[in-house]
Amino acid sequence: MFKEIFKFEIKYRLKRPATWAYFGILFLFGIIVGISGDTPASEKVFVNSPTAIANMLSIISIFGIMLSSAIMGVPVYRDIEHKTENYYFSYPITEKGYLMGRFFGSMAVLFFVSLGFQIALIIGFSLGPIFEFEPADRFAPLNLWHYIQPTLVLYWTNFFFAGCIFFAIVSLTKKVMLAYAGGALLFIAYLVTLTLAQDIENKNLVSLLDPFALGTYGNIIEYWTPEEQNTRMVPLAGILVWNRVIWLGLGLLLFFITLFRFDFQRFLNKNYSSKKKKKTESEEDVDPASIAIPKVQKVFSGALNFKLLWNLALLEVKNITRDNFFRAIFLAAVAFLFFDAWFGFPVYGTPSLPMTYYMLEVKDFTYVILIFILIVFMTGEVLHRERGVRYDQIFGSLPIPNGIIYGSKFLALVIVSFFLVNMVLISGVLNQVMKGYFNFEFGMYFTDLYLIEFPRYIIFIMLAFFVHSIVTKKFPGHVLAIAIWVFLFGLNSLADVNNNLYLYGYSPGYTISDMNGFGHFGESLFWFRTYWLACGAFLTFIGFLFWKRGTDSGRKSRFQIARGRLVTSTVLLLVICIAVFVGSGFYINYNTKTLNKYATVDQGTAGQAEYEKTLGQYDRIAQPKVVDVYVKADLMPEERSTTVTTKMQLVNKSNEVIDSLHLNWGAPNSFHKELKSLTVDGQELELGKRHDKFGYEIYAFNEALQPQDTVMLEMTVWGGFKGFPNEGSGSSIVYNGTFFNDGFFPSFGYSAQGELSSDQDRREYELPVKDYQLPDQQDEWGLSNLLFNDDADYITFEGVVSTAPDQLAIMPGYLQKEWEENGRKYYHYKMEGELDFFYNVSSARYDVHRELWTGKDGEQVNIEIFHHPSHKYNIDRLVNGVQKSLDYFTEYYGPYQYRQMRIIEFPRYSTFAQSFPNTVPFAESFGWVGDFSDPNDLDYIFMVTSHEVAHQWWGHQITPSATRGSNQISESMAEYSSLMVMKKEYGIDAMQDFLKRELDRYLTGRAGESKFEKTLLDNDTQSYVWYRKGGLIMYGLQDLIGEENLNTAFKRYIDSAAFRPKPPFTTTTEWYRHINEVTPDSLRYYLEDSFENITLYSNKVENATYKELDDGTYEVSLEVESIKRYFDGNGKLLEEPTNANYLDIAIFGEDGQNDLGMTTKTPILIEKQWVKPGKSKFTYVVNDKPLKAGIDPYNKMIDRIPDDNLVNLEEAED
Amino acid sequence: MELKIENLNKTYSNGVQALKDVSLTIPNGMFGLLGPNGAGKSSLMRTIATLQQADSGSITLGDIDVLKDKSRVREILGYLPQEFGVYPKVSSYNMLDHIASLKGISNKGERKDLVESLLTKTNLWHVKNKSLGTYSGGMKQRFGIAQALIGDPQLIIVDEPTAGLDPAERVRFHNLLSEIGENTIVILSTHIVEDVSNLCHNMAIICLGEVVAKGNPADLTNQVAGKIWKKAIDRHQLEDYKNEMQVISTHLKAGQTIIHVISDDKPDASFETSSANLEDVYFAEITSRMESALV
Repeated sequence: MFKEIFKFEIKYRLKRPATWAYFGILFLFGIIVGISGDTPASEKVFVNSPTAIANMLSIISIFGIMLSSAIMGVPVYRDIEHKTENYYFSYPITEKGYLMGRFFGSMAVLFFVSLGFQIALIIGFSLGPIFEFEPADRFAPLNLWHYIQPTLVLYWTNFFFAGCIFFAIVSLTKKVMLAYAGGALLFIAYLVTLTLAQDIENKNLVSLLDPFALGTYGNIIEYWTPEEQNTRMVPLAGILVWNRVIWLGLGLLLFFITLFRFDFQRFLNKNYSSKKKKKTESEEDVDPASIAIPKVQKVFSGALNFKLLWNLALLEVKNITRDNFFRAIFLAAVAFLFFDAWFGFPVYGTPSLPMTYYMLEVKDFTYVILIFILIVFMTGEVLHRERGVRYDQIFGSLPIPNGIIYGSKFLALVIVSFFLVNMVLISGVLNQVMKGYFNFEFGMYFTDLYLIEFPRYIIFIMLAFFVHSIVTKKFPGHVLAIAIWVFLFGLNSLADVNNNLYLYGYSPGYTISDMNGFGHFGESLFWFRTYWLACGAFLTFIGFLFWKRGTDSGRKSRFQIARGRLVTSTVLLLVICIAVFVGSGFYINYNTKTLNKYATVDQGTAGQAEYEKTLGQYDRIAQPKVVDVYVKADLMPEERSTTVTTKMQLVNKSNEVIDSLHLNWGAPNSFHKELKSLTVDGQELELGKRHDKFGYEIYAFNEALQPQDTVMLEMTVWGGFKGFPNEGSGSSIVYNGTFFNDGFFPSFGYSAQGELSSDQDRREYELPVKDYQLPDQQDEWGLSNLLFNDDADYITFEGVVSTAPDQLAIMPGYLQKEWEENGRKYYHYKMEGELDFFYNVSSARYDVHRELWTGKDGEQVNIEIFHHPSHKYNIDRLVNGVQKSLDYFTEYYGPYQYRQMRIIEFPRYSTFAQSFPNTVPFAESFGWVGDFSDPNDLDYIFMVTSHEVAHQWWGHQITPSATRGSNQISESMAEYSSLMVMKKEYGIDAMQDFLKRELDRYLTGRAGESKFEKTLLDNDTQSYVWYRKGGLIMYGLQDLIGEENLNTAFKRYIDSAAFRPKPPFTTTTEWYRHINEVTPDSLRYYLEDSFENITLYSNKVENATYKELDDGTYEVSLEVESIKRYFDGNGKLLEEPTNANYLDIAIFGEDGQNDLGMTTKTPILIEKQWVKPGKSKFTYVVNDKPLKAGIDPYNKMIDRIPDDNLVNLEEAED
Repeated sequence: MELKIENLNKTYSNGVQALKDVSLTIPNGMFGLLGPNGAGKSSLMRTIATLQQADSGSITLGDIDVLKDKSRVREILGYLPQEFGVYPKVSSYNMLDHIASLKGISNKGERKDLVESLLTKTNLWHVKNKSLGTYSGGMKQRFGIAQALIGDPQLIIVDEPTAGLDPAERVRFHNLLSEIGENTIVILSTHIVEDVSNLCHNMAIICLGEVVAKGNPADLTNQVAGKIWKKAIDRHQLEDYKNEMQVISTHLKAGQTIIHVISDDKPDASFETSSANLEDVYFAEITSRMESALV
């Protein structure tokens, strides 16, 4: 019996077109992915590497929830749907036979359908090298096990688990809608775990509980290097096993429950609502025949129609909001909205204050995805509502004009959208209230929600409305509507089509800032919204023409009807829509393409290649160097433009005669520049050659510059923004919060920074692969130029800046004078002494907070914080950061070269802080609005301040040469310096949390490396090396050889290299020599491991026990394993050296709390031991009761699994 | 007022010709539309009810061009489709009130009176507050009738209205229809011949999309009067009779097979005359056509 039902199920399914449609979709997707090679693999990883395949399979299995619900939800429901249950169950079959037959039959079909993807992948990958969308060498030969293993472990397990859920739900409740809603809910639950997984503290929990094991898998492979990703597979072991056991077990459990609970009789009983039957209402027996039907007045008027429109719309709104599917998704969406806002926007794990723009931005996290799904589905429901309940014939013959019905449905969706938009407001305000933030900026809420977001939802509706009007069947309508969007997303994210003009509903991104409000984004948003609304309205009207009323769906009659509806007013509306659509389209195109030179991604890459081929000949040609700069900047923030004049004294420091001046403006972008005048020693220069495409100009000097010749160059440039671009913030000059630097002016000569760097891209354009951007440490050119700017060595600086009368403008230097003239504010700044060629111009409506720092020798530094008036929250932390940094750095590195230190807030269009001489611009979103109320959260604003102050020494005093590794001298040193200041301020326990984050970022960085990882001494481009690894290594080094000891080396280095006036400028060789000098021979291994090699530890506790001795002391036994491995840049294992390493072994008591309220570890014993690779045993006797023990418990070494270094002690059994 | 259908043709996109050159004139009063399943009755009614396009031909109702001026038709139309659904979670009272407002009855008081009287008329008064989803088949059908009668329609189209009604309800409904039918056009489709002969002054028989007979039921019956013969036969002989003469119907009576034959003369002595009724007319028109269509 089971066999028969099983076989029937499979046969039945194989004849259904849906089965093949599902198979086909997966197959098609697999083919596209396979041939294009667009898989989750970075450049150095095979597109069909085992990890890429496994990753894709688990991602597909998540989307497969829908597939599971569609296939496993219906086998039992089918008998209800087709009303066959009444006789089918009367056959001599048992419940278990029936259920198991249907279940296993459907499951077999599900497994079969799911294989469409793998089959297609295998075919696709074998064709990939022929099509060459990706280079042929990125396709590894076929290895079937790479498909089979993850299919069994991840893919099918997930399908099975999800399938069991849906099968159980429908069999036990008879409600197929629950299966669909269940699918959506499961999907949502899944997104929650992904959100949680963002916090590294929850990694283990996520690994265990992730129903689809994508997170589990991700956590296992996240630190795998390209080499490992190419060769290794995730074994079914460890936490992955437990995860699989849990979810597979849950699936089986549900299946068995179904099996035992299912009962034909119960299944057959109709679900009458369990309300008690009221006694039939008083049956006054009126003879129906005696009643006359009263005569009534019928009115058909415009006013009534309007009322009807409204009433029908409200009725439809009611219908929508009563829908369980709507409610389920809606609740989930609002929950996301709320929790995203609640947990959102941490920086370094520290939360931010609930600023209104944050509350608004969460709408684009998960909410918009769910709302989008709601809109697409609800539109279908609404347009097919009457047909769905077969009320369409009665409804269709009612005397309501077409426009009223169609319009009411549209209006209903608009009303629902408005309601959905307001959820953002409610959730936002609620969040703010609950967090005790009462600065409600309703203006910002209303503008963003009603003027920007609401029209966007309407644009979504319009397309769905069009599709469902044209397609008269609901299901194909949904499929088509979703297919259109998938196609659009695909074009955008896979095919790199990013012109918002061609992607329905798309518009440029925008950022709201407290400083600059909605800034200049309003204009482009207005035009894009208008453009797409017109397009949507056009579609909606077309939809109206073909919208089906009645029963006739023949093509001929629908065209006939459409012609009938195409009356003058409709034609007029259509014409208006087209006119607005085309008109705004032209205007947008004029702005993005004509004014702002929109280029596709490919054009951009091709342009970079051409730049190198055309202009590479000028690389490193001799150009004069700037020695003195005078700037006069007239800012017009109101118009987003400026005119800047610079006078620069140039010296030919080379040994060659220089006959021409090369001005490199960079490829044209939205920040337009116009050269107004250019003179050398008062005489105009003649343009020799111009490469418009690259913004490269060559001028002939009127008189060639002999070595050591000095000339005065004067240049006036207008810069500003015109119209709006397709994308991009254009944040250099804004209404409030202008910030640009010396890059406003062209640089001299060719710059290698504009070249393509990806090996793959370079091969494609037949350029030689370039391993390093910078020359080695012995290179003469490298040694004679500075890292940050090869147009100058050290310079002197003076400038005048003018701005809007209500703004305050800042440049490096000491304020000499400020005045008002012609209704503008003027500020005159002058630097004392020398600085590297790096200055900024900033202007905004600032409040200024002033403090003073006094050094040990009585020297004083003015601390000035230029901030947005309402952003006073964390000023004390900034000030404290500056003060503590100056304390530490003046003590250990030497005097501060200036008498002032200024921190300047700029709008949150980007998130960084940057150190200019005595001036640090600091982004609005980077600490100004951080919420530091929990002392256990990282005080990153203090930390970053300290880092930027450290650059005054490491960068501005010691400005390294343009050679490999030089970035380490500025960045790793600044990172080290801030770590030391922080350690002093917050103690060693605050460090671990931070170092673990650094470790995570370093390991993730190297795992995604697209070239090869470089060493600290040679790294020239990899920020995860200079910040993350650099910080970790320097921290470990000071721990090993002593902080004071190491600082004496740095002091010596500063003494010998600060403000070095002449080449050869300093390199990592010099830096490393100083470090080496203070490192004892026994610990040199650490320097070699860390600076010259790529070294990873694998330290862990194998076993740790304690027992109480008779004298009240405790004996602790610790078994540890320590392995050290050397890797090459691709992550290939080179060697496991056997020399002993000097590592921390420690025993801890119960966690304590320090004065700041932070949780701290309580070491009972901590000592460094020479630990041999392999297993080692340690035994200690301690006085206090031990709780935890471990090896390298503070995670000072680079270790891919830092969490197993410290474990809880168990009491030893005798 | 008079409904005039002239040379109406309709072919569906799947190639089925549902209406072939249909011409009918329907005056005030009840008009019966008879025909087997798939004859085109519903297609014709849907076309009159503005739910469907015609390929050619015309329909006029008084001075209204039904195919073009749909909205004017809808203002005076009451339509009960053969199959229809309801919003399961709405009560019949609320639904009727809603439909009444959609039919242009904007005065609240009037609407209330109307809905209440219709609920009484259709014997739904005691369940007026129950949601439609809980209605039995007969109750749902009565609801359908009630909604069709809203708004004083001048043209009522009811497609198999008595399907699913018990005999008492059926009688009640017939009374209601004939009461209304005095000064409106009521088009009633059914396969129950008796209903037509009892209720209608005019009728038409449609078969395979064509009008095969039209007129007054009595006149039509008269045309075959004296030509109908019947005989009780053995079941196995049926085929032989069918080959030899025009057997228009067979039915069982007390276990015996009775055949009706149409013929100007008595086929043979074993036949006896049968008083002609509308059913004989119907089968006389239908049987041969259906059989030839099947071949």
